[in-house]
Amino acid sequence: MEERETEQRAELPAEQLAEQLAEQPAELPEELPAQEPEPAEQQDKSAAQPVDQDDVLDLVMDIGHLLLENGAEIYRVEETIQRVANYYGVDTAHAFILTNGIFVSADNAKGNSFAKVDYIPVKGAQLDRVVAVNQLSREIAAGKYDSIAEAREELRRIRAMKGKPKWAKILGSGLSAACFCLMFGGRFPEALVALCAGLLMYLFILGPGQKMSKIVSIILGSALVSVVCLACYRLRLSDDFSHMIIGSIIPLIPGIPFTNGIRDIANGDYLSGIVRMLDALLGFLCIAIGVGIVMSAYQWIFGGFVL
Amino acid sequence: MMDFLFENTVTLTIIQLFAGCFGSIAFSILYGVPRKYYAVGGLVGGIGWAAYFVLDYLDLASVTVATFIATLLVAFLSRLCAVWQKCPVTIFLIAGIFPLVPGAGIYWTVYYLVMGNQAEAGARGFTAFKLVMAIVIGIVMVLDIPNKFFRMMSKEKREEDRRGRV
Repeated sequence: MEERETEQRAELPAEQLAEQLAEQPAELPEELPAQEPEPAEQQDKSAAQPVDQDDVLDLVMDIGHLLLENGAEIYRVEETIQRVANYYGVDTAHAFILTNGIFVSADNAKGNSFAKVDYIPVKGAQLDRVVAVNQLSREIAAGKYDSIAEAREELRRIRAMKGKPKWAKILGSGLSAACFCLMFGGRFPEALVALCAGLLMYLFILGPGQKMSKIVSIILGSALVSVVCLACYRLRLSDDFSHMIIGSIIPLIPGIPFTNGIRDIANGDYLSGIVRMLDALLGFLCIAIGVGIVMSAYQWIFGGFVL
Repeated sequence: MMDFLFENTVTLTIIQLFAGCFGSIAFSILYGVPRKYYAVGGLVGGIGWAAYFVLDYLDLASVTVATFIATLLVAFLSRLCAVWQKCPVTIFLIAGIFPLVPGAGIYWTVYYLVMGNQAEAGARGFTAFKLVMAIVIGIVMVLDIPNKFFRMMSKEKREEDRRGRV
């Protein structure tokens, strides 16, 4: 089962990796100590361990943290942790991963076991980091990093990756708003308004919106674009406010939680999948609430749309 | 202003198809996709959108079926490109799926709710839900294709390329 799934889901193990995996000894049966050792005794045991295993777990934990934080799906995190741990000789690493937490354990030949738990707050995704960590893990598996320190150094570099500058994101938001406005049947003036609304909205999201909770910032963001679009409608820049708003709210749509939620559910990680789907659903709802509030207010003040 | 472009069916279609490509690229920027994947991501998104657009425009399929087919196409191309470019599928899948997510459906639902037209709001909301389900099923089906298949396809392609060059 394990074998089949690895085959099926692994994105792209290099040939070397495939060979390596084949060479790996079969996974040792999971042996948990029968009774919980006393805390003092446990400390003694960990001191007796070779430092290596602890380091490896630390490394895979950091790798998992970075992946999960930046919008990777559960399966990828699991697979990457397994792959890196295997390469550094920890064959018995087990990982249990949720949307906002990682639990890793490993035991060695002597029967001593380690466990680590990490909490990961839900944050905005930055896909270039996922790409970089993915690359790193493949290079590790291909034998490019002999010492853990080197891999750690690379990981530190990835964590320090700046990502796109703010202006690029704001531009992306405006551009996507304009494009989607055109796609759904808007015309040139509407697309221009959507562009401005999209720019303004991300200016808000990346500025004051960062200090607010996600729910509030999405509601206010979609309310803001609705205000902008209705103002343009009032100024007679365009009669087609529907397409302006449709285009402008698109950058707010929670695409990453939605897609990853589907993928987690497809992989059988139901718990995380549901959490992410809920996150996406909440995003959709908040957009609807923001637009709804502004439109109701408009209707109340000006007495209905002229359509 | 530039209205003539929008009166003509051909130019309008071209504009909308290009908007699909650029919209996907804009999302790649928004989500911090590395620059070298922009072109492929835009193409995947553009092709998916074109498939939806053609099916819907020529009335070959209902909106739901059109979305489903376009999703299958986008997910398939994303996996193929992921193997080809050696990077996570997420990169292409997210940008490619975006044009198919019923953003307009949400708006129309709210719009009719505000207008007090409960029946129409319900219908629009339900359509949006059906589209989401079509996307979910489409992605799940393509993700279940064994990875071997894609590796095989991209290997064959590479060999053909090599042969072609020689």
